[in-house]
Amino acid sequence: MVLEALEREGVELIFGYPGGANLPIYQRLPGHPKLKHILVRHEQGAAHMADGYARACGKPGVVFATSGPGALNLVTGLCTAYMDSVPMIAITGQVNSTQVGRDAFQESDVIGATSSVTKHSYLVTNIKQLPRVIHEAFHIATTGRPGPVLIDICKDVQQAEAESVPRERLEIAGYKPNGHADLDQAKAAAIALAGAERPVVLAGHGVLLSHAEAQLREFAERAAAPVGTTLLGIGAFPVNHPLSLHMTGFMGTGWNLKAVQNADVLMMVGMRVDDRVTAKLADFAPKVKTFIHIDIDGSEMGKNVRPQIELVADAKQALEAMIPHLPEPEKSRGTWLAQIDAWREEHPLRYTHSNGHLQPQDVLIDMYKRCRNEAIVVADVGQNQIWAALWWNYDRPGLFLNSGGSGTMGFALPAAIGAKFARPELPVWCVAGEGGFVMTAQELSVAVEHQLDVKIVLLNNFSLGMVRQFQDDFYGGVRSQVDLTHMPDFVKLADAYGLPGVRVDKFSEIGPAMDAAERTKGPFLIDFRIDPEANVYPIVPLGKSLNDFWEAPDK
Amino acid sequence: MSDNRVRVLSVLVEDGPNTLSKVSGVIRRRGFHVLSITVGPSPEPGLLRLTLQVDHGHAEADQVRKQLERLVEVVEVEDLTGHDLHSRELVVARVAASDLSGLLEKGAKLLHSSATGATVEFAGDGGEVGEFVDELKRHGVKDVVRSGPVVMRRTA
Repeated sequence: MVLEALEREGVELIFGYPGGANLPIYQRLPGHPKLKHILVRHEQGAAHMADGYARACGKPGVVFATSGPGALNLVTGLCTAYMDSVPMIAITGQVNSTQVGRDAFQESDVIGATSSVTKHSYLVTNIKQLPRVIHEAFHIATTGRPGPVLIDICKDVQQAEAESVPRERLEIAGYKPNGHADLDQAKAAAIALAGAERPVVLAGHGVLLSHAEAQLREFAERAAAPVGTTLLGIGAFPVNHPLSLHMTGFMGTGWNLKAVQNADVLMMVGMRVDDRVTAKLADFAPKVKTFIHIDIDGSEMGKNVRPQIELVADAKQALEAMIPHLPEPEKSRGTWLAQIDAWREEHPLRYTHSNGHLQPQDVLIDMYKRCRNEAIVVADVGQNQIWAALWWNYDRPGLFLNSGGSGTMGFALPAAIGAKFARPELPVWCVAGEGGFVMTAQELSVAVEHQLDVKIVLLNNFSLGMVRQFQDDFYGGVRSQVDLTHMPDFVKLADAYGLPGVRVDKFSEIGPAMDAAERTKGPFLIDFRIDPEANVYPIVPLGKSLNDFWEAPDK
Repeated sequence: MSDNRVRVLSVLVEDGPNTLSKVSGVIRRRGFHVLSITVGPSPEPGLLRLTLQVDHGHAEADQVRKQLERLVEVVEVEDLTGHDLHSRELVVARVAASDLSGLLEKGAKLLHSSATGATVEFAGDGGEVGEFVDELKRHGVKDVVRSGPVVMRRTA
């Protein structure tokens, strides 16, 4: 019943792990050869794989787990998907409906534990509910602001035989996703932006989710407005475009932050305007007279920044509604764009490369030269994530995947595996620090089992680099519990899992190691022993305003 | 908790096993605080009417309605704060005194009486119920239970 329903929804791939409370589903799985199942090594890995799959191809990722510990191991993965609005369906086994509430073996309140990290969830205690629930779940996960939906199915329901029930028409009284933009507001927004002396557009993940990149570009070019992106919005606007401000936020580029802090009209599209974007909220974009906020989720309006013009709408529909109303941009716009160019010259991205150590930026620059925009990069969390965000010039959507909102260490490897299943034609590079990598390293077995072309770039600095940098810079220089000297030999670890790996200590070895990775079919690991003191710049000190960004030391 | 941070909401929800925990979960997670909650059937089958008084904490005032609207179990939310409302609360009390005239004059209804005391009920807006409870103290109140308010827009 469950599997038939998934086939009807067009599911081809499931990431999962069997156990006592989902045995009936697994018993029937071999009878459904169209459903490919990937056996993971830990349920968190399944959730991140489904997440990476969904981010890479747009279809919802599907996860199976058993009750109790199996389902609870999904929680971090659900939260990661929830924070970043990624469509996912998690199907968990629950104890028999007659056992619920009796503290049965491997029973846990999965709905209770996951309510705050799912868009919606169901407990199914009767077979009659199942076809409607599964159909609704896919609808809810993939429409409006996407997100994970969990279906907790009692074991006796999984076993129940039922006539194949025709799918009911969807009538969900409490679910009406937003779409169309209010035309008056769209016109007002277009006029406000075009009339600005110093406009800035910031684009978030919502632009990618609604496939509005072309509309954003047309809008920006016609309005002569510079565009920055959030960390999750990378790819929404080409970094090489003359109007690009690259990444915003407290680790954004200097010219982006200068532009935001001096803008008179700021338009924020498909983004939550969270604390990593605003830094000190009271000092965020202080010269703005008109904030324009476009988001499909009405609760984002005024949650952090109160807009003067709000459009609760899909990003593409909003931009399409705005473009025809764009008047000729202000003549003085040339001055503003020249000013931004001057800031770009004055505050370029730079890094230390004279201390004899291998620099992470050199690794990423080499990678970019060989891949250009023909590969997917999946980053983990921490310094590696920001380096990967800043040192590639992503010019197309869907090439950079990372856990932005939740900041989940251990995301990269399983998400890269999921992305490779989604986009087998593209090279997939997993960029991770050694700290996050070992949190989900067991999924190497999945990459080896399926001989996936996932190239692992380990930026190994023998420490929790981002935490170490924060301790050095913002917590009195007290280095506390960040030393990771005692880690496995990663080349031997790769060998133990059955994939080739090499170690790189010197700049001159980057190219040959990358060549070897590219030549090798199947997974490959490179343990880059990078400068243990390498830092992320620019960075805004915690609690400070975007004006106060620090740049890399000039050497 | 200052009064001006309190929102009064009338919420139509699905009658289901997860609904109340999801509503209260959102309120907790967003840093709001429930001051009163009243649940009862609505005229539409399968739907319940919740009346909530919620302190919105450090969040913007409109976040209470917006966050509740995100729940699939929630069909409709009306933020009635500041509107002209009928707001009615119920109190039931057991008193020792045999002389009930003071309470009955205020509009109390006698539910039960015996040699040892009486049980009365009273309905009114928040202020009236407060005054009634004060009055009860002069009658040797033994036990008192109060509901939260149910509200309806006042129309001409």
